[in-house]
Amino acid sequence: MGFTAITTVAITLFIVGFFTIIVYDIQGIINSVKSQVELAVYLDDNISDELKAYIENEITNWEETEKAEYVSKDQALERFKEKNEGSDILKEIQGNPLPASFEITLKDPEKIDQVALRFLDKDGNYIEGVNDVIYGRSYVNTLFSITAIVGSIAFLIIIVLLLATVVLIFNTIRLSIYARRKEIEVMKLVGATNWFVRTPFLFEGFFEGFIGSVVSVILLYFLGNFLLIRGERVIADTMRIKELAILGSGNIVLYVYIAIVVLGGFIGIMSSGIALRRYIKI
Amino acid sequence: MNMIEFRNVSKVYDNDTVALKNINLMVRKGEFLFLVGPSGSGKSTFIKLVIKEIDESDGNIYIAGRNICNLKINRIPQLRRNVGCVFQDYKLLPQKTIFENVAFALEVIGRPSYEIKVQVPQVLKLVGLHGKLNSYPHQLSGGEQQRVSIARAFVNRPPILLADEPTGNLDPGTSEGIMKILSRINLIGTTVLMATHDRNIVNSMRRRVVELEEGEIIRDQKRGVYGD
Repeated sequence: MGFTAITTVAITLFIVGFFTIIVYDIQGIINSVKSQVELAVYLDDNISDELKAYIENEITNWEETEKAEYVSKDQALERFKEKNEGSDILKEIQGNPLPASFEITLKDPEKIDQVALRFLDKDGNYIEGVNDVIYGRSYVNTLFSITAIVGSIAFLIIIVLLLATVVLIFNTIRLSIYARRKEIEVMKLVGATNWFVRTPFLFEGFFEGFIGSVVSVILLYFLGNFLLIRGERVIADTMRIKELAILGSGNIVLYVYIAIVVLGGFIGIMSSGIALRRYIKI
Repeated sequence: MNMIEFRNVSKVYDNDTVALKNINLMVRKGEFLFLVGPSGSGKSTFIKLVIKEIDESDGNIYIAGRNICNLKINRIPQLRRNVGCVFQDYKLLPQKTIFENVAFALEVIGRPSYEIKVQVPQVLKLVGLHGKLNSYPHQLSGGEQQRVSIARAFVNRPPILLADEPTGNLDPGTSEGIMKILSRINLIGTTVLMATHDRNIVNSMRRRVVELEEGEIIRDQKRGVYGD
């Protein structure tokens, strides 16, 4: 009996933990993407120094601006070479076709549209001296909505699974009470205290929840990490994000593990408490 | 001193069955009392009220001078330690030996093991079963099982012993043995209240008889007989 309960609790909490980590993970991706969201304002090659200084001054004075960096033509080429080291493409390049630019990081990435509009004049053309403005607007928005959906689905699944765990442990304790009903009857008859009768069952519930959650954490550590790291790589590759948040910095995962174990023990005690209230009367 | 006192006690069950109607009864310390009457007359309800397995609908119940009507749930175990109980079906635990069955009653109220080792053989001697400490209930006759059950109820030396049809499953000869043990326990000063509809036993003992009919006391006789 105990073994079945522990196994099922372990599997359930594994799934709960897995979803929790995924939600955190996506949140982490969002954050790292957010911090990478920046505007690149490409300048005309023949922009005058005054105009350049004027634009720079404007940008730095906007309250939305977190940081603005000027990248000269030479620096741009340097970077390009670094990124494409050893590639044939370098041989093809003659002179320096790359424009100079301002790279603006915003305090609040969601204001990016608003800021980008400032580089357009009334007719929708770029203002003088600016050639192009580039930012990853569409995929940031998609990411926001995906997170919201995945988050709420995961939340629902987690709630349902936790409820299932409560019902499961409740049931094993109920059967356990039934199996020992004669003993309980005699205990009450000869004046055993309520706690004396209940403690073994509370302990049994706690034990099932606790051991189940420990097993689920072990499963998560090996199997879950394996799946998540692969998943992250796929996401990272498709979205061209260099580093991903969560599994690299292990603290949150550790907190999730601890939370699962605490939750497992708590659910165990709570479920058996409900069963005791229901099936053991004074 | 009154060990058990019922003052205007009534019990109506949830399905509107009236089990006891306005019962007034005093049982003095050291008394031996038969509660007689046909099935459904309220005998078992009376016993359940004394150990607070059920709550009265009206009136007051005093056990050893204390009103138990407003007893808090966590004080109920204390009450039950002072009231031993014996039932028709013995309620022994089949997987435990005779010694363990009796010892269990002391273990669950937290008595130390050296006390248990002394008390259990003593009380089993009192009921004449000291030779069967390591037998299991299924190896004993009905009469012997009932004696184990009495030993368990009495091992804690409660001042009150309740017996609900203790001879209901036993033949007359065996019943006589059980009655001898209950008399012995009563002689030590224990108040014994026994519900029964065994006419022969009541008539042979000549003790106080309280007769219930449809939840009411219709007779209370000092040295009574079962009645017609």
